[in-house]
Amino acid sequence: MIYVISYIVMGLGLAFMMFGILGIFKPGKDFYYRILVACKIDTVGFLTLAIGMALRHGFSFFTGKLFLIVIIMMILNPLVSHIMASQAHKSGYVPSCENEDDAS
Amino acid sequence: MTQVLLFFWVFSAACIVFSRKAYRVIIYFGVFSLITSVVYLALGAPDVAMSEAGISAFATIFFIVCIEQYYGRGEGLKSEAIASRRKIRVTFMKFVPAFLFTAGLFLLFVNSVPTGYAFTELRDQYLRMFMQDVGGENAVTAIYLGYRVYDTLFEALLLVIAVVAVTHVSWFSSEEVPDGQHSEIENSRMTKFTMRIICPIILLFGAYLIMNGHFTAGGGFLGGLAFASFFICRYLVLGIYDLPIKKVMKMEELVFINITILPIFAVFTGVVYLVADVTPLFQNIYLVAMSALVGMKVACGFFILFYRHIAIERLPADIDKKE
Amino acid sequence: MYIILGIILGMLVPYLVRVVIGPSVWDRLLGLNLILSKTIMIIILFASIMGTTYLLDFAIIYALSGFVGTIFMALFLSQRNIQKGRGSK
Repeated sequence: MIYVISYIVMGLGLAFMMFGILGIFKPGKDFYYRILVACKIDTVGFLTLAIGMALRHGFSFFTGKLFLIVIIMMILNPLVSHIMASQAHKSGYVPSCENEDDAS
Repeated sequence: MTQVLLFFWVFSAACIVFSRKAYRVIIYFGVFSLITSVVYLALGAPDVAMSEAGISAFATIFFIVCIEQYYGRGEGLKSEAIASRRKIRVTFMKFVPAFLFTAGLFLLFVNSVPTGYAFTELRDQYLRMFMQDVGGENAVTAIYLGYRVYDTLFEALLLVIAVVAVTHVSWFSSEEVPDGQHSEIENSRMTKFTMRIICPIILLFGAYLIMNGHFTAGGGFLGGLAFASFFICRYLVLGIYDLPIKKVMKMEELVFINITILPIFAVFTGVVYLVADVTPLFQNIYLVAMSALVGMKVACGFFILFYRHIAIERLPADIDKKE
Repeated sequence: MYIILGIILGMLVPYLVRVVIGPSVWDRLLGLNLILSKTIMIIILFASIMGTTYLLDFAIIYALSGFVGTIFMALFLSQRNIQKGRGSK
């Protein structure tokens, strides 16, 4: 029974990640839209997947280590997204219709 | 499943080879080393995968610093001419050979995945004799025991040579150490708040890797990398210019001498094996001591490399820019 | 469990495509960051299938040291674009 619940929760996490893929491939959107959708959905998907796996393994050493990983990812993933977006904005990157690619 | 991973692996390697722009190559290299680590894990080599995980982050940093040095001195103009050529032809010329190359290598890899074990004499001897030769609990951490100590010694010597080379082939002599450039996000409150939580976790995890190294994968090298990444996090929020770089360089030499001396007194005289039948306590103490020494060595070495590259090597280009 | 592992392995394909065709270098960096988190998930699924806990150390060291490379790439790229005069565009 607990296995079925854990599979359902993990499937929910996979569905969140699928939405992230849809977000980064939506046509007509720029980099800031992509980073907003992808990183937010990805963090939520990771959390949901980890909750499903913790339900599967019960109260054990595995779940403790998994909890530590979840804490680290929940802290660091938004930080990395924030720094990427702010540095892109600071460097004057304006997503335009012309195919702008960095030389070198 | 291994075949799928091998396909990604070969594809990212082909991207590295056929790309012509430096920053793309670094990003492809990041993808390549991530997939490499998972491939090692799937093929059953956990400790090598762990080393790859630690190395990939540092290799990225050093590559990007070196490339920024190169393009910062007036070489960036040449690459803009390349970018302004006809786009479609370049894309076509780039992706068709990449695809052919990838397909050929993929066929080779699929056919060469090992299905059984080759019973050669050397493999047989290694599996049979490692317990008698070195007498460790774990075949991986046995590199600190027996004749395998030479392996560790020469690896440490290699890192010493790298640090000495970087220190002496540098823009500044080691006598004058200026106050270098600070990071751009030093005043970010979000970064400060995050690093206040993350830095204790990094230190605790490095200590855990060193203390637990003789039971599981990991050990001294990974613990040293964790401590070195603590210094990098400190650079992001506080700056590392108040740390005594000369004392760290002295300490690195002292630690290397200790790495050389400890096996001479412990292994080559046979002290480790005296009471190994009764209790493995002394052997464990020796292993943890060697792990801690190697960890200190790696942390000091990477800290010196990072300091010279980030803080000192970046100065002349910026001074030229301002003038 | 194997099905979920296969689906996440299949998810590597769109991110690789985004890394390869991304119109700017920031899109490639975004793809690299997403591939990093997918790698951590794959390692956790490995550990769950094999039933061992020492494999989770990999995931911890990836999460702790993988972000450093991305942050440094973002910092250096932005500084380089400012120096080249693209900030006025």
